[in-house]
Amino acid sequence: MPELYPFKPGPIERIVLPDQIVGVWVNKLYKFYRVVYIEGIPHSDPLEMDFGALAAAATTGITQLALLEMPNYEFGQFRGFVIDDIAASLWQGRSDGRHVLMNRNGRLTRDTDRRDPCGHTTEFYVHEDDYAYMDVLNPTAYALTQTRVAFFGFRYVLEDALDKYGKKYKWNPGKPDHNEPPAWTRVPATSHL
Amino acid sequence: MSSHYSEPARGLRKSSDIITIAAGATPEALYQRTASGQNPRTVILRKVMAYNAVNATTLDIGTGLAPFVNIIPTIRLVNNMDNERTEDEIPEMEVGADLTVQTDVLGVMVQVEVEEIGS
Repeated sequence: MPELYPFKPGPIERIVLPDQIVGVWVNKLYKFYRVVYIEGIPHSDPLEMDFGALAAAATTGITQLALLEMPNYEFGQFRGFVIDDIAASLWQGRSDGRHVLMNRNGRLTRDTDRRDPCGHTTEFYVHEDDYAYMDVLNPTAYALTQTRVAFFGFRYVLEDALDKYGKKYKWNPGKPDHNEPPAWTRVPATSHL
Repeated sequence: MSSHYSEPARGLRKSSDIITIAAGATPEALYQRTASGQNPRTVILRKVMAYNAVNATTLDIGTGLAPFVNIIPTIRLVNNMDNERTEDEIPEMEVGADLTVQTDVLGVMVQVEVEEIGS
């Protein structure tokens, strides 16, 4: 059995195999699904988001990454890197900054993929309509005509995970109806903790 | 001249615009560093290209306008010649400031390549 898990260093890998159970962290609880299908999303220009021309020292508004929208019963695993000399901040929920510390948020810059060539520290997950957003800063002293961020990864097609009695697993720790699968992989799909 | 530079890149390569010197013996802006991120980047001068068809002159690259401070020794520019210095020939001088330039005479064209250090 390969060792698979989120944020794994090295070339991007799936975090589970088909038929395994994931718990997707959504709205402060885990929703359990069985993975039925996985597909690679290669880096390619349809997966590039261009935030457009940007004046020196300017920042775009927080913009939805519409190209990473997922349908119902799917989530995506993505890594990203910037193409132009910009600093990109990730948001999941428009007000929830990702790569977050107590006082600072990490950003994707041209330096990020030099220090972390596989991009594992940039990894994030998009589940159904819990959209991802970015804003982009032009840190240079000149205007940029393009401000591009590229993404690649995997998409996972899901079905409800059922126990041996045909009942949905449910996350509700400490309560009688808590029903957790015996083995599952955590998927950090939002930052709202 | 081929490069024998073997140290891995530390930062991002950038170029200045082509600057045509506006006034003799008067410093002017050459390269404005990236400084609007969380922290300003520092700058290492890597390559210099200059063209001089106005008179024999000197070329000074440094920081500041008043005062101007050289970051490498003065380069002599021969009249009617292009002049290039690659990174093999330039001291690795890292500065936390914009680069400025001055020549004895106006009309000299100068462009530099720099390596910007920082995230």
